[in-house]
Formats: sequence, structure tokens, C-alpha cells
Amino acid sequence: MRLDKIVYNPFVRADESASKVMTDVIIALIPSIIISTLAYGFYPVAVILVAISSAIVTEYLFSAIFSKDTKSIGDGSAIITGILLAFTVGPFTPLYVVAFGGATAVLFGKLLWGGIGRNRFNPALVGREFMTIFFPVIMGSNFIWHNKEVLNIKEITIFNNDFFDHIFYNVSGSIGEYSSFFLILGGIYLLIRQRISWHIPFGMLVAFILLVFVFSGYDLTYSFGGLFLGAIYMATDMPTSTSSPKAKVYFGCMIGVVCIACLVGGVTDGYFSYAILLMNAFVEPINWALRPKVWGRDKQIFTRTWQTALITLAILATTILVIYIHHLDGIKYLIYFFIVYSIVRFILMKMDKNILESK
Amino acid sequence: MHIESMKDKTKGKKIIPLKAPHLLHVPLPELFGNKPEPVVETGKRVKKYQVIGQAKEGFPAKVHSPVSGIVKKIGNILQADGKDGLCITIENDYQEEIDETQEKELVPEEYTSEELLRIVKDAGIVGEGGARFPTAVKYDVADQEIKTFFVNSAECEPYLTADYIIMKEKTAEFFEGIYLANLILKAKEVVIGIERQNKELEDIFAPFFKQEKYKDYKLEIVPDEYPQGGQLQLIDTIKGIKIPDDASSADYGYIMSNTGTVYAIYEAVVKHKPLIERIVTVSGEESDNYGNYRIKIGTPVGHILDTIEYTKKDPMIIMGGPMMGKYIYDLDTPIHKGAGGVLMLKKENIERLSCIGCGYCVDVCPMYLIPMKYEEHYRKKKYHKLKKYSIDDCIDCGSCEYICPCNVPLMESIFKGKSKLKELENEAG
Repeated sequence: MRLDKIVYNPFVRADESASKVMTDVIIALIPSIIISTLAYGFYPVAVILVAISSAIVTEYLFSAIFSKDTKSIGDGSAIITGILLAFTVGPFTPLYVVAFGGATAVLFGKLLWGGIGRNRFNPALVGREFMTIFFPVIMGSNFIWHNKEVLNIKEITIFNNDFFDHIFYNVSGSIGEYSSFFLILGGIYLLIRQRISWHIPFGMLVAFILLVFVFSGYDLTYSFGGLFLGAIYMATDMPTSTSSPKAKVYFGCMIGVVCIACLVGGVTDGYFSYAILLMNAFVEPINWALRPKVWGRDKQIFTRTWQTALITLAILATTILVIYIHHLDGIKYLIYFFIVYSIVRFILMKMDKNILESK
Repeated sequence: MHIESMKDKTKGKKIIPLKAPHLLHVPLPELFGNKPEPVVETGKRVKKYQVIGQAKEGFPAKVHSPVSGIVKKIGNILQADGKDGLCITIENDYQEEIDETQEKELVPEEYTSEELLRIVKDAGIVGEGGARFPTAVKYDVADQEIKTFFVNSAECEPYLTADYIIMKEKTAEFFEGIYLANLILKAKEVVIGIERQNKELEDIFAPFFKQEKYKDYKLEIVPDEYPQGGQLQLIDTIKGIKIPDDASSADYGYIMSNTGTVYAIYEAVVKHKPLIERIVTVSGEESDNYGNYRIKIGTPVGHILDTIEYTKKDPMIIMGGPMMGKYIYDLDTPIHKGAGGVLMLKKENIERLSCIGCGYCVDVCPMYLIPMKYEEHYRKKKYHKLKKYSIDDCIDCGSCEYICPCNVPLMESIFKGKSKLKELENEAG
């Protein structure tokens, strides 16, 4: 007798699930949501809710049509994508634009790539780029970011020190950036729950801050809130980041490097977004070059250093190219290409079921 | 990685001999392509301890009859790995008539190491930790100098207490077994490795360490980590040396044996008993009769369930530990020499999701591999990539899938990937 369906070990499992991971991320983001209401009451909440609903509805419809399996809604990843997307836009962004962002985030950021875990680029940031490209006038205008008339609490003073008070609460920039303090607090929660490791945020923050000093002559303007939002929540997105300690530190560092390169290169808006999306594209080779040294085997220092150097060069070259394209106002063509590529890839994948199905 | 131990259920249970079954299916396991051949015929009577299987060539260990009785059948029975395996089915006549061909009267000290090695070989002793590699082959180190003889008593699998109970109840026999084994190996240093959760053994061992014979033996208490009981992991924890997976530890001057194995050596040398039974932890969820049983090799799993009056419907039965054990499909599947446990666990419907790249498997892999890549490349049929990601260094410990929040079929990909690679290599010649 030959058994077709062997049941493999292990027969006990850790009390873990994808939805537990996602729930923890949502919990970590809640304080920042609350802080945003202190500033603008219901406006940011509306943006967040619309982004979430749009993401969920899109995922539901897509799954119902293409895979007849709508279970994936339950994993909570669409909720996170919605919140994170909302965190990167202004509280007065028109809600239909937000809905568009939420839908494109899950569609082009995740679903067309084969669903959760199979995506290459951070969905929330993909959604944000789509909003920028398809609604350039609205996304480029000032009114979406602030409105003094409906501002509830202008500032909070606890520390008698402007810097720390601003870290705690500072109404400027996007919805998620108001409180670095609560972003960090959420990050600490995720660290304790082992949903993120320290490597990526550490690498990114260290590289970023060091380079800010190195390029202090350039008078770079950046936001702390944005830095923490990017470092703790965007760069650490599991499917689109590296997976072993060394690769994580390198990945984080290079995001910091690309950020500063963008700033120095005159990209003042969305530089975090560019940096993270650009680095997302290099996850695979970084994971390979900086994989852990196998038990009892050679370090292969020479090969690995060489590979890492090549990857670094490629990243820097791509960065310069992206900055150049940005100044030519050509990012939209990249996005058009991305749209065509994702769709063609999806069709090919549908034809070859082996790639899509988990078994 | 820490895993809930579940050992408390059976740590306090004394060793009880399990009533021998009416029918035994004694396996003749293949090793490196060589099989022990049956040396008895259907219908003939065999005595207890009589050799019933012996390989014409190669390494396989001898197989003895655990009971006296009639050979009913020689044929295939589904084994714990899900494949058919040749077994000799013996109908027990409960006469316990012993085959007296073996010599008696002995003072172990008067044996030469060659004689001891022959006894170990004749007794059909294999590694009881699970791998079932013939001990006599392992111990045949010739002129190689052995620095350290490790007794692997880490027993890192949850639930299992078979090794623990030997050390607790049969301490004198355990120490004598180590002593006899080391008469063969002549290692300068003897180290017993136990996990911290079994620290109470330290007090039980204390009087033995005072004896002249054992006074140089060392006890190492290692962390309660899985897979601490892996040979490579234990050597690394104690000696800080990472031996590659495909290397022979003897080349590094190290030999390691499991608790059950040294106990079997004691039984073979002092009691003239070939390896026909072993201590098995019977445990799992909800039963009053769980414990540590002395069970004859070839006892069908179904007989164990009947004897302990297991009444729950449709459990998942596992032979071995829950991390590396095998799923039992057929109640006729017999206990083999490497089976440290029979576990009745709750059947669960496992929902398999796509990998989300969390990297937990990379964090816990004891061999520092990237397990998630095995699932990806196996799914995509890129078998050469499995090799590129060092799948041959995987020790099948199951840590990656244990921790996986998405229940990605990592072990299935690894096992199938490995056999696929073997297939491809054979095709290529």
C-alpha cells in the first residue's frame, strides 16, 4: 500500500496564527489613531475607515471573482493596509481619493501578486503612489494636510521642552505622524510580542540620523513622525522585507541611505515611500547574499561581500535613476508599467496554477 | 526554541511491562539499501531471543524474536513512516521459552573490547534515539582516538519520558551501560547531557559519581531548548563545536549514544538479553493509563491502545515524539527499536495559508537555514534551488513548521523535496 497523503510532523504547533500577528499590528496602531482624533476629531477617522472599507471590499470582490475563496478577509491584513495607507495621507484628503487608494493598495499591492505573502511591494505605499499619480492636483495641494478651523488641540506641553513635546504631539504632516511617541510605543509592543525585530528600524534610524549629520550642510527637512512610521511599520512589513538578522540590518540601513539620497537629490515629498518601495525590489537578492551561515559550513566571506557590494551598487544606481525620473515627472510611467506588469503576471500565474496554489 | 514540555504526565509513572500481544510484527528495517533477511520459515516455532533476521551484507542489525511462538507470516506491514516494511509475524505462545545458545557467566572487566563489541552486535542493538543506526557499527572505531563519549539524555521531544525514567529507576544499570560502552570506546571523557527540566536527576546520580568506576564522568545540564537532543546541537552546547551535518562525529573524536541504547548494552552484556523490548512513553491527551511501559519490539500500536483501555474516538496516533515522530495510519503498525513514544493527540484540521515571510522559521532553524524557501521552491518545482539553499543540511526537526503562524507545509516540502532530489540524482546517474 502506498499512501498518497502522508501526514507529516510536527504534530504540535505553537499557539500562533497569521490573524494573531495582524491583530497585534492593529493594536500597536490604535494609540496613533486616537492621537489623530485629538487633532482633527472625526476627519482622520473617516479617512481611516474609508481606506479600510475600500481595502476590504476590494479584497472580498476580487477573491469572490477570481479564487472563489473569501476566507482571506479574516486575516486582517486588509485592515492594516487600510490603516497604514490612511496614515500616510492628510486628514482632509477627499474620501473618494482615499477609497481609490485603499482599493489599488490591496489590488496592485497584494491581490494581483497572489495574495498575502506573495507580494513584493508594500501594499499601503503602492496605494499611496497610485493616489499621487492619478490625483496629482489633489495630492499636491495644501488643503488636504491641515485646517486650522477644525483643529481641536494645537499643542500639548508636558516636558517644558519643545523637542520632546513635538515628539509627543505635533500636528503636522500625515495622519500617522502626529505622535512619534505613540508610534514608538506601538513599536515597543510589537518588539515585545516579537512581531517585528529590532534590526530593520535600528538599521534605518541609525543610517538616517548619521547621514543627516553627514549632510548637515544641505538643510534637509524631514519629519520624525514619518521616520518612525516608516521605520517601525512600513519597512518591517513581513512579506516585503528581508528575513534574517544581517539581511534585516542591511535592508534597514539601505532604506535610510536611499531616504537621504532622495532628500539630497531634491525629492522632498514621499521620499520614505520611494526608499521603501525601492528597497522592496531588492529583498530577494539581499536575503540570498546575507543569509545566515549554515551550521558548520563555510562563511564564504569573499563571495558574500562581493554580492553585497554589487547589490549596494545596484541600489544606489536605481536610486539615482528614480530621483532623475522623479525630476522629469516620469514616475507615473513607472506606475503604468507596474500596472501592466502586475496584470500580465497575474494572468500568467492563473494559467500556471502551481505558482498560485500553496500545494 | 522553547516548547511546552508536557512531560509531567508521565515523569512520575514507574516502568510497567506491557502485556505481550498475541501477534507481533517484528520489523526487519532496511539500512542503506541492505535488508536483514528472515532466517526462519513460516510455520516454524521460534524461541524467545532467537535470531530471526540477519543481513547477508551491509550494516543492518540483527533481529531477535521477543517471544516464543510460531512464525505465522513473513510479509509487508505498514510502518510508522507510511511505507510498507517487511515484518515477521509471530504468534505468541506465552511460554517464554528462551533460546539458550548464548554464553553465560561474566565479569565485564574480563571482556576485551572486541568481545564486547561482538555482544553489542549480536544483541542487535541500534540507536534508540530514533535514527536506529546499528551501535556496533558506530562503536567500531578501530584505532580512532575518541576524546569524549556523550550520553545523550536530553530527550528534548515534548511528552517523552522514556529516557528519563530509565535514568531515574534504572540508574545503576544506566551507569553500568555507560561503563560497558566506554570499555569499547575507551574515551578519555564521559559526559552525560540532561535538560534543565530533568535537573532532579542530579541528586539521583550523585551517589554514582562518588563511585570509583564513574567518578570521572561528567554531568552537563543543558537548556530546555528544542532540538537540544540533536547530536550536533548537544555537542555544540557542551563543547562549542559546530560539526557539519554530513561529517562523522567520530572524526572529531566524539561518539554519542542515547540513554536507551546504553541501557540496552547493559541488558545485552550483563543479562544476555538481545534488544527485544524497549521503554516507550505512552502519553497524549486525556487518559488515566498513560505511563512508561516496557514494550516488546513488534507490538502493534492497536494492542497498546487496547491494553491501556484507551477509549477516546479517533485520536491522532503518533509514534515517537510530536516534533519528529510519525503518524500512524494502521493499528497493526509495530513498535520499532527507535520508538520512544506512542502518543494519542487530538486530531486537528490544519488550515494552510501562504507564507507571509515573517521569518520566524529562519529565527528558530537550529541549522541556520531558510526553511520558507523550501516551500516556495518545492511549490514552484525549482528543485535545484532546494539544493542551493542547503536542504541537505536540514535535520528534519520540525521547528520551522512548529513556529509557523500560517501552517505553511514546510516539512512536507522538505521531505518531498529531499526525495525528489534523490530521484533526480539517481536519474542523472
